[in-house]
Amino acid sequence: MDLLNQLETILESDPLIDEVGLIHPSQFVTLSNECGESGNSSVDDAFGPTDTKFWNRDHKLGISTEVLLPLCKAAKSAFMDAMKQYKMHSNLSDDKHEDENIVIDSLLSCQSFEHEVMKHSRALLLLSCDFGTAWNARKLLVLKKPQLSVFTDELFLSTLVLSYSPKSEQAWSHRRWVIKMIAGNCLNLQQIVAKESELVKKIAERSKMNYRAWNHRCWLVSYMTREQMLHELKRSRDWAGLHVADNSCFHYRRLLILRIIESKPNKQDGNFSYDVEKYQVLKEELELNEVLIKRYIGREALWLHRRFLSLCWIRHLTTMCGISCHSEQKTSVDNEINIFLDKEFCLLDSCSLIQDTEFEDFKAQAMYSAVYFVWLIKKIPQFRKIEMHEKLKVGNLKNILHKTCSERSFLLDILEER
Amino acid sequence: MGELAVDKHVQYIVSIDKKKDSFESVVMDHLRMNGAYWGLTTLDLLGKLDSINAGEVVSWTMECQHESGGFSGNIGHDPHILYTLSAVQVLALFNKLDVLDIDKVATYIAGLQNEEGSFSGDMWGEVDTRFSYIAICCLSILRCLDKINVEKAVGYILSCKNLDGGFGCTPGGESHAGQIFCCVGALAITGSLHHVDKDLLGWWLCERQVKSGGLNGRPEKLPDVCYSWWVLSSLIMIDRVHWIDKEKLVKFILDCQDLENGGISDRPDDAVDVFHTYFGVAGLSLLEYPGLKAVDPAYALPVDVINRIFFGR
Repeated sequence: MDLLNQLETILESDPLIDEVGLIHPSQFVTLSNECGESGNSSVDDAFGPTDTKFWNRDHKLGISTEVLLPLCKAAKSAFMDAMKQYKMHSNLSDDKHEDENIVIDSLLSCQSFEHEVMKHSRALLLLSCDFGTAWNARKLLVLKKPQLSVFTDELFLSTLVLSYSPKSEQAWSHRRWVIKMIAGNCLNLQQIVAKESELVKKIAERSKMNYRAWNHRCWLVSYMTREQMLHELKRSRDWAGLHVADNSCFHYRRLLILRIIESKPNKQDGNFSYDVEKYQVLKEELELNEVLIKRYIGREALWLHRRFLSLCWIRHLTTMCGISCHSEQKTSVDNEINIFLDKEFCLLDSCSLIQDTEFEDFKAQAMYSAVYFVWLIKKIPQFRKIEMHEKLKVGNLKNILHKTCSERSFLLDILEER
Repeated sequence: MGELAVDKHVQYIVSIDKKKDSFESVVMDHLRMNGAYWGLTTLDLLGKLDSINAGEVVSWTMECQHESGGFSGNIGHDPHILYTLSAVQVLALFNKLDVLDIDKVATYIAGLQNEEGSFSGDMWGEVDTRFSYIAICCLSILRCLDKINVEKAVGYILSCKNLDGGFGCTPGGESHAGQIFCCVGALAITGSLHHVDKDLLGWWLCERQVKSGGLNGRPEKLPDVCYSWWVLSSLIMIDRVHWIDKEKLVKFILDCQDLENGGISDRPDDAVDVFHTYFGVAGLSLLEYPGLKAVDPAYALPVDVINRIFFGR
């Protein structure tokens, strides 16, 4: 059996394969030994230890690095040929022929070429994940039988490709296409969105700071209900705490927070409960962020997150005041702002002390805290008023900037501009 | 500090085309048009475009045109806006835009604009601000921006702006230096840069420079030579390039060269590829490295090519 045929037979005989990977030829022995110990009960012995090209067990597929190149070439040419044939025959069957037999003949061969295209494109995409023309061919054929099960098969293939190439732009894009196609008449869209979000979480675990994966999760937000957004925020909280360098996760949380803040209540919910919830969401995130900043010294993503949160917090407080302009409320908002500003001064004080020069972390922490302050002064008018009375603090700030990031002199210019 | 190994890089680029049998070249086969643009622009910036047979490239490029007007990444593949820009840029390099049916290409691109002003990459509908840049850049080179609704296109790009001053793929998407280049480039070409808070965006972009002098594309990431282009060109377009340490960046790029076999990698001591070779050389050109042609930060083509298009030299 030729290589491509062998791969395609495996894929067809085990449709539940959910992970693909490359294996060095030397690893086959180790893998076989491990399996030998755990009892060789697998049904696919044909591709077992004696085979050093493919390894298939427990719905995992390993491909030897040795056969990768010839396999890839074979899959490509098989796919391109099948596609050419398919196009030729589908043109024929589109034409109106006098002779019914010709029409039926070409319809039949069209179907068999469809099958070929689907088979070869699958093999090809496992080997060359961003081969756009193969993804497109599948879209074209799926639209001929637009049933939910066919669409879910496409999601499954994309997941399989992502198990091997988690950054494949085309595989992520294919998922979005499928979801857009089924979103209109799909009863369990919320469930699909939740599953997609879970998939991103799983992939992000293995593939750190994966922009494409997180971008997909951000894209999903537009399909979420407010309830779901609140749930997602809760669900990604612990993950964020364990991956403090992953700016993408914090960005995802920023997006959720923004959309929650922007959301307008239905008549029965009323403004009040929404406002309380918005207040709560922002306050909790600020608190979590402060805890993490103090626990993980000198992490850029945490400080950038804080810039966003402070800005939203002040905006939220001032717009709340804008809506109901009772003087009582205004005083309480002013109070709230002052409390916040005081807290931030304390945070700067505690972070700007370089406790240990041996480790870069403390220096980084001092720098990020000082730059964060420049940001507050630039972006939040209330800060400018206060620091007028606190000249000393500005002097202190310049000092830290000078010590920790003298190369970023533009920050000093921004401070001067106030 | 080493110097730019011009001859080695020329050799490397010329040789890529001959190594058709490696796994890399087989999996990159579908985006050969992008590869052609990266390699040929590098050669032109190095002043060595004549080491390639222009006629062969031009006829291959035209074979990649689809009946819809769009170009594919290689012969027999589906057209996409990504490859359409590369094809137009390649033809522009060789001063061969006249072989194009300009109206046909422009109609293809204009047909990809969506109701809210965004652009799809192809008929399958994926939307991304990268495609907005490509559409605007390409139509501007072909001098038919009037084929699209520019105001809506700009509006969509601005809807992808984040509170940190950066831009993402779609509204709400995370800021990324590559996307920022696309959005700033599109705004520059359409004369809409006044919509950008230059201090704020410049600040975010400058924070991409790490200790080694290299630039990263997002917070907490490692530096990568390709961001020498994305970040630097954006900084130039918004007039904030004096905010970074240029000398250290030059050194970082030069440290990523393979001095033996030519080519530039993402980081020192990694394997080279044509993509990073282009971005390294283009970055050095933006940094006014001696002996290199100047490159236009918005169109990503040599300045003399741009002048030829817009001012007839």
